[in-house]
Amino acid sequence: MSVLVRVTRRDFLVRTGLGTGAFVLGCYISPEGKLEARSVVRELRNVLHEGLPLNNFVSIDVLNGEVIIMAPRSEMGQGIRYSLAAVLADEMEASWDKVKVRQADADGPRYAVGNPNAILVPDASPSYLINDEISQFADSSRSMALYFLPMRLFGAGIKLVMLKAAAKKWGVDPSQCYAKQHHVYLKDKETTHKVPYNHLLPFAISVGIPQMPEIIAALKPKEEWTYIGKDKGVPFDNAVDMVTGKAEYGADVDLDGMLTAMIVRCPVANGTFTSYDDSETRKVAGVVDVVPIKLGEGNPLASMFRGGVGAAFLPHVGVAVVAKNTWAALQGRRALKVEWDLGPNASYDSESFRRTLEQSTASDSDAEVLRNKGDVYANLRAADPGSVVKADYYIPHLAQAPMEPPVATARYKNGKWEIWTSSQGPELTQHYIGLSMIEPDLRKWLLWMAAEPREVRPTEVSEQKRFNKDLAQQLGYTERQLFAAREKLKIEIRDKIKVHVTLLGGGFGRKSKPDYAIEAAYLARKFEGTPVRVQWTREDDIQFSYFHAVSNQHLEAALDANGKPTAWLQRTAFPSFFATLFYPPAPGIDPIFQTARSAFHNGGKYRYGSGIEKAHGLEDMPFNVDNIRIENCPADSHIRVGWMRSVSNIFHAFAISSFADELAVKAKAPDPKKYLLDLIGEGRILPLDNEGVKAFDNNGFPAFGWEGTPPIIQPYPPDTGRLRAVIDRVAALSRWDQRYGRLGPNRGLGIAAHRSFLSYVAIVCDVSLLDTEDKDGKKQLKLNEIFGVIDCGRCVNPDRVMAQMQGGIVYGLSYALLGEITVKNGAVQQHNFDDYPVVRLHQTPKITVDYIQSELDPTGAGEPPTPAVAPALCNAIVAAGGPRLRELPIWKKVTVL
Amino acid sequence: MAVFQVSVNGNLRIVDVDPDMPLLWFLRDELGLKGTKFGCGVAQCGACTVHLDGKAVRSCAVDVGVAHLSEITTIEGLGGSHPCQQAWVELGVPQCGFCQPGQIMSASALLKANPHPDDELIDAAMTGNICRCGTYPRIREAIQKLAGR
Repeated sequence: MSVLVRVTRRDFLVRTGLGTGAFVLGCYISPEGKLEARSVVRELRNVLHEGLPLNNFVSIDVLNGEVIIMAPRSEMGQGIRYSLAAVLADEMEASWDKVKVRQADADGPRYAVGNPNAILVPDASPSYLINDEISQFADSSRSMALYFLPMRLFGAGIKLVMLKAAAKKWGVDPSQCYAKQHHVYLKDKETTHKVPYNHLLPFAISVGIPQMPEIIAALKPKEEWTYIGKDKGVPFDNAVDMVTGKAEYGADVDLDGMLTAMIVRCPVANGTFTSYDDSETRKVAGVVDVVPIKLGEGNPLASMFRGGVGAAFLPHVGVAVVAKNTWAALQGRRALKVEWDLGPNASYDSESFRRTLEQSTASDSDAEVLRNKGDVYANLRAADPGSVVKADYYIPHLAQAPMEPPVATARYKNGKWEIWTSSQGPELTQHYIGLSMIEPDLRKWLLWMAAEPREVRPTEVSEQKRFNKDLAQQLGYTERQLFAAREKLKIEIRDKIKVHVTLLGGGFGRKSKPDYAIEAAYLARKFEGTPVRVQWTREDDIQFSYFHAVSNQHLEAALDANGKPTAWLQRTAFPSFFATLFYPPAPGIDPIFQTARSAFHNGGKYRYGSGIEKAHGLEDMPFNVDNIRIENCPADSHIRVGWMRSVSNIFHAFAISSFADELAVKAKAPDPKKYLLDLIGEGRILPLDNEGVKAFDNNGFPAFGWEGTPPIIQPYPPDTGRLRAVIDRVAALSRWDQRYGRLGPNRGLGIAAHRSFLSYVAIVCDVSLLDTEDKDGKKQLKLNEIFGVIDCGRCVNPDRVMAQMQGGIVYGLSYALLGEITVKNGAVQQHNFDDYPVVRLHQTPKITVDYIQSELDPTGAGEPPTPAVAPALCNAIVAAGGPRLRELPIWKKVTVL
Repeated sequence: MAVFQVSVNGNLRIVDVDPDMPLLWFLRDELGLKGTKFGCGVAQCGACTVHLDGKAVRSCAVDVGVAHLSEITTIEGLGGSHPCQQAWVELGVPQCGFCQPGQIMSASALLKANPHPDDELIDAAMTGNICRCGTYPRIREAIQKLAGR
């Protein structure tokens, strides 16, 4: 690795005695994921104009020694902001009282670290991770997994530079020096030879660039970590701001002359307005203007939207009321009258769509086979019908409902935008504002899908080459011109759109979509020079989400004489988020779309799941059954679909872990926990490629190891041994063996375990059913306690991992018990917390959580706690003498006290 | 528009605003006090909780006209080292932190009226404050600690 040492202009001033300075240490990782040596020292402004992507994570102030560490990923409560800084600070031997963490603006190349596995293993990384459009994208619970090693290397590299600088200053060999808490010391001469980092900066400029092997050698052994892995070791740097009201969220950004906008949006996806009457609105004091928003009108994309669900995060068509303050905007919006042409999705009805999904999974005629072992159909045919269990599992659409509704502020001047947004994806925001506002040519939107072979998976290469060729031809380019055009557009977008990231008042996947920032950017252009804030209400948030996909699954299993399944059939159907993200194929559409990279979407069809969704707990179904068949059946999308905390794991875990329990009941197993462990079998790495699973999207990481992999890089294969371990641990925590079956007739324990985002979680629910029914004749359920255990490899910040376990369990409880989004005539029927209830404190039982102590590389903790809660709860209800629930939310059949 | 006299965090203010404007927007937009949050606008989530003459109220559901001649305390006026704030930091209660000003305003009002609430009373007093991050276990723990348990 190299440490690119840059000297700021101010530092020259320091050396000439004319002012303060900050010494900036940059670390460079190439697009191929290679750490490269650069021996350049030059003035900062020259470096910036060089156009080199630089990772710039740390600066040290010459005078006061302040260490500013950039936080590349959005902070939404997972604690990643200060946890990543602490990793770097630990290896760097920074003193936390000198550290200031600063949220990074959108700058994909600057903060792109790619897949750390790519640092040392050249062919390992999928393009999805190197892609500098999403390097800062906080999704899929992998910020720590991606950044842990790079932050360690950057920290160790800086420490090495400091050691060499001190050695130079003292005229000794660096091996005679050691670093501790912002100082370098000379061994055995600590009282006379101690120097703080900022005093070493002038010497640091002229030391040699450390090379990768010596940086790896300089990494601390874990026993020497100060912050990493220590309980309460990582300081929660903005807790005080949060409890004093000083923490700044999206709606708190206050700029001179700012206007606030509220938008009336078409209630149906892809509808439009025909007319509107703003006469009453304009009478409201404080209202400044009324502005229609019809992004895509006149854009060839718009014609594609009819019959589809919209693409590329363009907002719903609507009319904006722009006012001097929020109250005026709210009142103005209430007074607005709009006539709609609701469009083809107005017939979407969630009740009838359920039947459509059930019909889809009732047969394999249109199914794509995801995994196949043995011959499930033959086994099921041959089985005694009395031994076959069949079940359908249904979960409706859900809304993420983060506590802070979506909000973004934009200011436009002289062709450039400045955006302040509460977003999980700052560079995605920048990218799509750029496409919507700057580049109306539909074909150039596809420049983003042009990729070089090294940027995509081996299985995608031939499709990718064909796409590059076709697109180049369409645009009248050579292939070299194609990539040059791509880079030019990227640079233009980055130059014209600056994106600041505020704290997020919760994300849960909703804020991974930049639609609300695009609304702000659009309105800002109408009010050049004036900042415009687009504030969503809770009604907007519930009505216009990118909803969790509705789903139905059909499962069948045949049990042998010992109650063990000999066949496991699973069919899943759900509208894919790729139907929302990408362009729907339609008759007459430019064939370029048919050849667009198909690894994610099956030859241009959007009726099947993406690789990501299929890998969410489905393809890696963990049970050791002789005959397995997993199929994805088609489903269309008539509403915007996106991500909600753990995404497709929600329905896959619900079906798999509930069905396993149904088999245990059918088999009259005395202990479902033992039955579950027997189903899983001995710990093993799932042999997915032997069972027909193609291109398993293992959260973007390599699934299996390679020879010669250096010990600090690990793959993350699906390992049922780790699943067994969390089951054993949660059983111990809940005293399962002592208590199961001994709690009396109305009380029961239920268990479920699920792997997601490379981590393993097991949940036990302890519930009681009351003797009496409620006034509607429903059984009444009391939640006694919930237990949860996670294996997420090494816990860098154990306190936050445990907080994520508590919080993720509550989140899972909420949709299990209460949440339901229904659609009628194309419009969402829920509006606020009164008709879309969420779990509150009095409904939260005691929650006891723990983690597995592990030396494996860190994996995710944000989403993994959630998926196993609903099935564990439903299993517990059966154990307590209640009904088997195969659909959510639970409140429809059982009242929860 | 009408003229009101409101005391906010000990500062007496004479203001001229629409009497129907909810206190929430008055605090945020007119006074620039951003600590009180907008979460639902219909008194369902508690993110907007402030003290009105010492009682916890949802400022989205109180018109500023109603607050005439009243004493309002927002999270900014709690002092910074209120026992609730200290307990919240000590136990690492916040995750995203957005709901926490409202949680703290509700909890502080509860503890002022009832220094030793039992779990049932804690549930009842705090049920109006939603947390989507699921910090409820630690909120409960913090209040129990402040209650002397």
